[in-house]
Amino acid sequence: MNLFAPAFAWQSRAVLGRHVRVHLRKWHTALLPPVCEPLIMLLAFGVGLGRQMGELTWQGLSLDYLTYLAPGVLAYAVFMTSFFQSLFSAYIRMHFQKSWEGQLTTQVRLEHVIWGEALWAAGMGTAYAAMVCVVLLGFGGIGWLDLYWWWLPVAIPLLFVCALAFSAIGLLFTALLPSMDHMSLPFFLVIMPIGFVSSTFFPMNEIPVVSVILQANPLHHLCEGLRWLLLTGTPTWHLAAALGLSLLMLAILIPIDMRLLRRRVFGDG
Amino acid sequence: MCRGSLFNAESWRGELPRIHDPPESNIMLTASTSELTTPAMFTAPSSGMVGPSAPLLEARGLVKHLGGRRVVDGVDLTCHAGEVLGLLGPNGAGKTTCLRMCYGFLRPDAGSIRIVGHDLHRAPDAARRQLGVCTQDDTCDADFTVRGNLQQSARYFRPRPADLAARIEAILEQFGLAPFADQFPETLSGGYKRRLMIARAVLHRPRVIFLDEPTTGLDPQARIAVWELISVLRGEGMAVVLTTHYMDEAERLSDRLLVLHSGKVRASGLARAVLGDVVGEHIVVIASTVPGAERVTAWLAARGAAPAKVLASWHIALDAAGLAAFVAAFPDLRYEVRAPVLDDLFLALAAEGPR
Repeated sequence: MNLFAPAFAWQSRAVLGRHVRVHLRKWHTALLPPVCEPLIMLLAFGVGLGRQMGELTWQGLSLDYLTYLAPGVLAYAVFMTSFFQSLFSAYIRMHFQKSWEGQLTTQVRLEHVIWGEALWAAGMGTAYAAMVCVVLLGFGGIGWLDLYWWWLPVAIPLLFVCALAFSAIGLLFTALLPSMDHMSLPFFLVIMPIGFVSSTFFPMNEIPVVSVILQANPLHHLCEGLRWLLLTGTPTWHLAAALGLSLLMLAILIPIDMRLLRRRVFGDG
Repeated sequence: MCRGSLFNAESWRGELPRIHDPPESNIMLTASTSELTTPAMFTAPSSGMVGPSAPLLEARGLVKHLGGRRVVDGVDLTCHAGEVLGLLGPNGAGKTTCLRMCYGFLRPDAGSIRIVGHDLHRAPDAARRQLGVCTQDDTCDADFTVRGNLQQSARYFRPRPADLAARIEAILEQFGLAPFADQFPETLSGGYKRRLMIARAVLHRPRVIFLDEPTTGLDPQARIAVWELISVLRGEGMAVVLTTHYMDEAERLSDRLLVLHSGKVRASGLARAVLGDVVGEHIVVIASTVPGAERVTAWLAARGAAPAKVLASWHIALDAAGLAAFVAAFPDLRYEVRAPVLDDLFLALAAEGPR
């Protein structure tokens, strides 16, 4: 069976539509995290810590820390949002709310539920990234940031594909975690290693061993690609690497997610 | 509770739903469906390549292994229009696995399932469009109101139910849910949650409905309300497959019983016939403490049998000849003789042990 075709089925869109409908009802509270998180990070680290650090050197360019951090925060928002949506929210819907089981008693099948969750998490990651862009524009408006702004909308489709790959990791843990008590495991196993070994917060290319590991981290390529794009206006191979790694992750993880979730939900497979 | 509802207190006059006539007149039921029902509750099927006498649900040779164990072993299962099929068996008999295969949760290792003529695994969309499922657990969507649950459920079907807004209002009214339409499911009692679950399952006008222990955990009044509803679904010409652990419920509601044991069909047919086949014609109930009772165990042991122990009494299943021999052997004992009930069926199956 083609495991990727259901992504385009009406049933997956119906599941996605359900999540959108619920989220839009809570938009006033849902709006706070994507605005507040980057704002706090940029103010606390970019402005606060940046004043203590002075200038840093990245790819031969001398930058203030806020400028260095801004593209990283954008990429990090995509990563965190899509991962946590497909982990916490999907787990709660599957395990506690039993809304998956309700959907599965209709014409919706498990592959549609999984794709609906993945598309929703990726859509949320992308929407949050768009909100971060608005925050960055605000910093630009008061003269604290000077980026190649017109590349922001161009980057959005890439952000969606990367978010889809990150959501596939989240779904893997949704399938594997025995209970809510184990939710700290993906934080230590995925969030911290991928998040910190990624050049999101500080340059890591020059550390010999780490620079090799970085090449396998899609978040690193996304950070660096966005940084080149927004700071110099130059599309680089990092964007292609982020896209390629994301597609590879999807090709590997979606079949595994499907199999493990089938076992988890139906006790079969 | 709204006037005109199926579940009005006034509509309940202390009579239990009758045990239905056997379904030998399926053709008549199908033909007369439109006379039995109101337009809001039932419309003639738009698809499904089955003749009037063909079963709406037809499962053949179902086999399923789970955890390395053969939990369903060659089960055949059919249900016709206007028929309630009661699926019975002790825990672990394989009935839930059978049901989950029939509504598409599990793929059988062998065998085929046809819903209104559509192969469930070759044409899953067409087959599932004809299915309604009420699972054992409440799976109402906590993020939507009662009305929102019905609206959202309709979005999971293509084609969408015709005249959806009117259909939802009619269903709310008929299931007694109209006063709670704008409340969230968590505020409903257990009985009303069940009604919402069944309402959601029939919203898209399916022709086959699966009810997995629909009254478990409900108080007697709520159970009776659900029984009435099942009678209405049957009257509308739906094929209803029901699992339950309540013996009175199975006897009262089912036209036909299918008894599973260790993954195989142990008996099937009318309730009385099934009881006769598996249990026997008579049950002798004797207090285990009555003087001389120990002679009974010896008498049974000589015939290769043993009494079923229920608390301080023994239940002994006998056919007519056996009863005559028992009466002759123990003229001085005090005991009760009664017709078997489905509880005796479970005791008999438990005594057989895994096969």
